[in-house]
Amino acid sequence: MRDLKHLYEFEKLLQEANNELVQKAKADGGIALGYTCYHIPEVLLNCGNCFSVRLRAPRTGSMDIATYYMSNFLCGFSKAILERAIEGGYNFLDALLASETCSEMNRTAEHFELLNLVENDKFFLTFLDMPFKIADHTVKHYVTQTRNKILNKMTEVYGIDTSDAALLKAVEEHNEVCRLMTEIGNYRKEDNPRITGYEYHILSLITYCCPKSLILPMLRETAEELKTRELDEKKNFRAKIVVVGSEMDDPDFTALIEDSGALVVADRYCFGTMPGREEIKINPDEDVLTQICLHYLKTSQCPRYMSHEKVQERRDYVRHLVDEYHADGVMYEQLKFCEYWGYERALASYVMSNDYGVPTAAVDRQYTASASGQLRTRVQAFVESLEIKKIQKERKAKENG
Amino acid sequence: MKYFGGCDVGSTYTKCVILDENGKMVANVTNRSKINPVASAEIALGDAVAQVSGLNSAEELSYLIGTGYGRNKVPFADENISEISCHAMGVHVTNPEVKAIIDIGGQDVKGISIDTDGTVKNFAMNDKCAAGTGRFYEAMANAFEMTLPEFSKLSLNAKNTIPITAQCTVFAESEVISLVGEGKPMDEIAAGIQLAVAKRCFVMAKKAGATDSITLTGGCAKNDGLKKAIEKVLKIKVFELSTDPQLMGALGAAEYARQKGLAK
Repeated sequence: MRDLKHLYEFEKLLQEANNELVQKAKADGGIALGYTCYHIPEVLLNCGNCFSVRLRAPRTGSMDIATYYMSNFLCGFSKAILERAIEGGYNFLDALLASETCSEMNRTAEHFELLNLVENDKFFLTFLDMPFKIADHTVKHYVTQTRNKILNKMTEVYGIDTSDAALLKAVEEHNEVCRLMTEIGNYRKEDNPRITGYEYHILSLITYCCPKSLILPMLRETAEELKTRELDEKKNFRAKIVVVGSEMDDPDFTALIEDSGALVVADRYCFGTMPGREEIKINPDEDVLTQICLHYLKTSQCPRYMSHEKVQERRDYVRHLVDEYHADGVMYEQLKFCEYWGYERALASYVMSNDYGVPTAAVDRQYTASASGQLRTRVQAFVESLEIKKIQKERKAKENG
Repeated sequence: MKYFGGCDVGSTYTKCVILDENGKMVANVTNRSKINPVASAEIALGDAVAQVSGLNSAEELSYLIGTGYGRNKVPFADENISEISCHAMGVHVTNPEVKAIIDIGGQDVKGISIDTDGTVKNFAMNDKCAAGTGRFYEAMANAFEMTLPEFSKLSLNAKNTIPITAQCTVFAESEVISLVGEGKPMDEIAAGIQLAVAKRCFVMAKKAGATDSITLTGGCAKNDGLKKAIEKVLKIKVFELSTDPQLMGALGAAEYARQKGLAK
């Protein structure tokens, strides 16, 4: 297949948190609001001239200083974000919106404050207290916090209009991104998909890390380009897989999987598109902010929710993805020391293969894993076993007429 | 006669096996790996080809498969297959009764369970550090100022086991040197080292679903002290293979090459 027109440009944008589009938006008077968790409603950070930047730490090297402050036994993502902040990589931020969804990232955000890491006089940091259950009183608590700690603070410090009309405008723009990503993502259900998992991962990250208004024209063009993209005659993969797990912003991980013979057809990881790129439906008769907050609470697939129904719902969700995207197996990936996915991965990967009969592999990984030869071996062995099972299944079907 | 090759470029040793179309092993080579995997593969292939009178170069092999960490660097290879799949197939063709493997290579430890057709049923892999791998044993043998074969037999007659607490290769080496300095019996320290590695292997074997009929592959399979410790920890008799266990990856690759080459 020919490379997508904007792919190289997108890859380049992902090399820095403070990328060219972020710089352009800032130069045009935009307010950059950083966040790291799905439970911070992204759409709220795109009101008025604000724009959301989901924080990553591309090209992470040594994390020694962050390890000094945080200890060895915390996830690499939280340490990489702190290390990058200490290096001055987030000085462009005007605010950081944090939640105590997990204690690791909570500690990272604390250090932004304790070490006064962002050199910007107006910079502010807020913490949201996250509920563990979805009930009337917890939703009310969450909505109140988002109003007081996010919207009111944006107005107070930067004079941002956060009226219902402004929220609806942000929802409209957000929904267009979601529609385009869904349209593009649906190609992954094809027998021989016209988009690779790597390309889709790049597109997905771009929508999180760049100002929406600047990325939308290129995204529209990419969706249009894909409608007529010519496929290679021969399939370039041996098995299709769904990747499920914790925070994942390293497209090289997807590239590693695909270099080993698999095609990633669906992604259910933090800051992927499932959930993340579903449209937010607004009923004009109900409170706008409450509906936005409910959307994020209800669609979250984070294993911090430990009630029986939520645990079961997450397993069913993965199984549904396997069926819908015609996948041959599931790969559970877990960022080492992720406090929630450690449990989820161990149990769900067992249940998925033993109770649901879906071939499953489980890997724990570092924040950046592209250079890992061992990881490549694991993935390749999994792909080989999927391929063989597929061949055996086809052979059996043939024998049975 | 058609010939089929498997080349296992490992981090420490490069192995090569050539099979004829009936599956008979007609050549095998085990060389110390070079820093450059292409050079390692070229030398091993050259040495193996020299053992077969009907072959002049690796290009004449009907099908060649690369495996091991340098699997995608094997010249003239038709494809590469992970060493996990190859070890399973290698053991299966050597002894179909064996249903599980502990493969201890130069830089990782793997537990593999085998399906009835020689394919991988499940696997687990310790790839986080050199603890319990060939590199670890090299460091330990150095600390004892012994060769690897000497060290592997040292623990066999130990009356007691002195536990080693450090798993990290570097820390374990320091701990061993301290224990030797304290005048502790060397065979008992060695028994402690073997027990520590055997426990690590236990975890990999159990994670992979190994229940019985297990064997050891990789260079460390020749370590008698480790074999005894694993039998003690797993409470299972470890199968002896009729072919050099270090060759299992290359043999599996060659068998895959034979099956694929004949089906071409």
